[in-house]
Amino acid sequence: MDGVAEAVLSDGQKIPYVIRKDPPRGGMKYTYFAPDRSYVVQFFNDPDQARDPNLRRRLEAIIGKYNPTRSEEQGGAPGGSEAMAAYFAEKFCWPTAIVEQPEFGIVCPAYPSNYFFSDNASSVPELSADLRGKDKRSKWFTSPRLRRYMREQELGDFRSMLQMSISLARSIRRMHQAGLAHSDLSCNNVLVDPQTGGCVVIDIDSLVVPGLYPPEVIGTGGYIAPEVLETTALPFGDPGRKLPSTYTDLHALAVLLYEYLLLRHPLCGPASYAEDPEEDDYLCMGPKALFIEHPQDTRNRPQGLGLTIRDMGPGLEGLFLRAFVDGLHCPDARPAAMEWEKALVRAWDLLQPCENPDCAAGWFIFHDLRRPVCPFCGRPVSRENIVRLRLRSQLRGRPGQWAGAGEVNLYHNMPLFGWHMLSGCFPDEKADRRMLAYVCRYQGQWLLVNHAAAGMLSPGGSLVPAGQAILLKDGAVFRMSGGERGYLAEVVRGSWADGQCAAR
Amino acid sequence: MADYSRRLPVYLLLDCSGSMMGEPIEAVRQGIKALLSELRGDPQALETAYLSVITFDSQARQIIPLTELMQFKEPELRAGGATALGAALEVLLECVNSEVRKSTETQKGDWRPLVFILTDGSPTDTAAFERAVQNIKSAKIANIVACAAGSNARTEHLKRITDNVLMMNTLSAGDMAQFFAWVSGSIKMSSKSLDAKPGMPLRLPPPPQGFVIVP
Repeated sequence: MDGVAEAVLSDGQKIPYVIRKDPPRGGMKYTYFAPDRSYVVQFFNDPDQARDPNLRRRLEAIIGKYNPTRSEEQGGAPGGSEAMAAYFAEKFCWPTAIVEQPEFGIVCPAYPSNYFFSDNASSVPELSADLRGKDKRSKWFTSPRLRRYMREQELGDFRSMLQMSISLARSIRRMHQAGLAHSDLSCNNVLVDPQTGGCVVIDIDSLVVPGLYPPEVIGTGGYIAPEVLETTALPFGDPGRKLPSTYTDLHALAVLLYEYLLLRHPLCGPASYAEDPEEDDYLCMGPKALFIEHPQDTRNRPQGLGLTIRDMGPGLEGLFLRAFVDGLHCPDARPAAMEWEKALVRAWDLLQPCENPDCAAGWFIFHDLRRPVCPFCGRPVSRENIVRLRLRSQLRGRPGQWAGAGEVNLYHNMPLFGWHMLSGCFPDEKADRRMLAYVCRYQGQWLLVNHAAAGMLSPGGSLVPAGQAILLKDGAVFRMSGGERGYLAEVVRGSWADGQCAAR
Repeated sequence: MADYSRRLPVYLLLDCSGSMMGEPIEAVRQGIKALLSELRGDPQALETAYLSVITFDSQARQIIPLTELMQFKEPELRAGGATALGAALEVLLECVNSEVRKSTETQKGDWRPLVFILTDGSPTDTAAFERAVQNIKSAKIANIVACAAGSNARTEHLKRITDNVLMMNTLSAGDMAQFFAWVSGSIKMSSKSLDAKPGMPLRLPPPPQGFVIVP
C-alpha cells in the first residue's frame, strides 16, 4: 500500500517521500523516508502544534542562522567554514528545510547506517531479528541488563565509550556556544555507535532559541533536571515554572556522560522516600535527588558499587561532583559543556590499554602513576609498559620560563597530533587532524617516531627529521616541535618498586 | 552492583470464549507475537516491562506468570466456553497481590501494573464480576485499559472496571493487529514517561483508526 508523495518546501522545491501505513511515531512527530532513504520528512502528531507560529519561527532560526551543519556562506551559523559544517553534519541530525505542503513539517537527513542495528546484533537470534533496522539508542549499551544480550563486538570498549562522550560534550558545547539549548537530551535523542565511538544528536526541532518563545517540552524521565521536575505542576507561563534551558541540558549531559563511562544512572540507588512508586520516583529524581556517589551523604550509595568516579581521574571526578553534588539542585554550579569537553580530552590522553586480554573494558584512564592497575579487571600494568610525557609550554614573552601543559600517556602505535606538540591547539572542530608523530615499541625500547612535526629536537638538541625517532628514556627532556609554541616534553617511565603495584 | 530499577508489570486478560474460535483467536496469537517483538526492540520496554497472560472462558487462569520479555514463551490459546470475566478479574487481583513487588528497605517496588482486557462479549459470571468490580475499584491496584471487540461486545460492563474503554468494530486480523500494536505503543510510552509528576492521568497514544474511545 506504499505510495510516493511529494512534499513542497518553503523555497518551492518538491521532494518525494514514501507513504506507509504505520509510520514510525515519536512523542511529537511521525516520519516518512525518502525513496532512497537519504532524508526523512517529518510531520507533527498534533495539528494544532503545527499551526503554532512560534514553532515556525523557531524552526526557521534553527535551519538558518543557528545551523552549525551549514557554512556561513550557505546561510548557516556565523563563522562556520565548510570544514566545520561538515564536521558537525556528522554529529547532529539537523533539520534542513521546512515542508509547507501537504502540511507543515520538516526535512532531516537520515542517520548514517552505522547508527542502525544490522543483522546479528544480539547473541539471542530472536532479539537480533527484533533489533534489525532499529536505531542504536544508548540504553542498549549502558544498561547492564541489556548489555548481556548484545554481541561483544557491538559493545565496543571503554575507549570507544570515552570517544562517544567527547563527541557528545563537543556537540552540546557547540549548541550552547550559540545560546541554543536542546531541551530534551536523553538516551533516546542521542544515537550511539560504540563500535566506532560515534554519536549523533537527534530531535533538534525543539531547541530553545535565544529570544524566541520556548517549546513546551519537559524532557525524558531520568534526564529531566530536578528543578524542572519540581515545577511541572505550575502552568506554563508561571514565573516559578522552570523550563528547559542550557542549564537543564547540562544536567542531562552529565547524566549521559556518567552512563556512558560508568554504565549506571547517577541518581538511581537504594534511597526511597515513598511507598507509592510514582511518588517515590518523583522525589528521587526531583526534590530529594541524591548522587549515588555523594562523598558525605551515603544514603543512596548502592551495595557493591565497583568502579567509581575516582577511577575517571581527578579532572572528571571533579566535574561529576560539581554536576551531581554542588549543581544537582543549583543549576549555576553545573559544569559547562566546554569544561566536560576539555576534561574528557585530557582523560583521553591518559588512556592505557589493559594487558588482560579478557578485560571487557580493554582500556582505562591511567591517571595515577602510583596505582598502575586497571580499575575494571584489577590487572596491574607491567612496569616496562609505563611511558608518559609531561608537557610544558613556554610562557608567552618570557623565553626560558615554562608552565605545565598536561600529560600524555603513551602506548604502542599511539598517534600524536598538533595538540600534543603545540600550545594553543585543541582537538576540536577546527583542529588539523593529521598525525605528526607516533609511538612505537621496538625491540624492547620505546620510540617516538617523527612523522611530520617540524623542528622536533632530540634530548641532545639535534634536529629529528621525519622518519627518525627519539628514544624514550626515563627523565629525557626534548622539544616536541619548533617555534615559540612548541612543547617541551619530559619522559616519565615506570620506576617504582614492584611491591607497590600490589598495594591496591 | 545491586539493581535498583523498577519493573513495569503488564497483564493481558484475553477472552478465549467460544465466539473467539477460529480467526479471532489466531489473530490474538499473532498479536502477542508482534507485541513481544515490538517490545523487545525497545530498550526501555525490554528493561522494565514484565508480561503475564490471563485467559478466560468458562473459567479463568493465569497461563503465563509475570515474566521478563526475554524469557517469555508464547502461550497456547484455545477458544471455547463462556465468558468468565469476573473470574479473570479475581485471578488478576490474586496475581497482582502475589507477583507485584512492594517497596521495602532493600528493593524498589514495581510500577503500578498496566492491564489490558480484550473481550468480545459480556461477563457470564455476573456475581463474581460484581465482587471483582468492587475490589478492583477500591484497591486502585492498576491502570486498566479495556477493549470491547466485535459486534457483540458490550462496553457498559467494562466502563465499570475502568475509565479507559476502547471499542473496535470487528474481530478481523487487521483490527486485532492494530490493537496489539497500540498496546505495545502504550507499554512503550509508559516505560518512558514513568517518572513524570505523580498523580497525572495515564498517558496513552491515540487509538488506531476505526477504534472508538468510549466516553
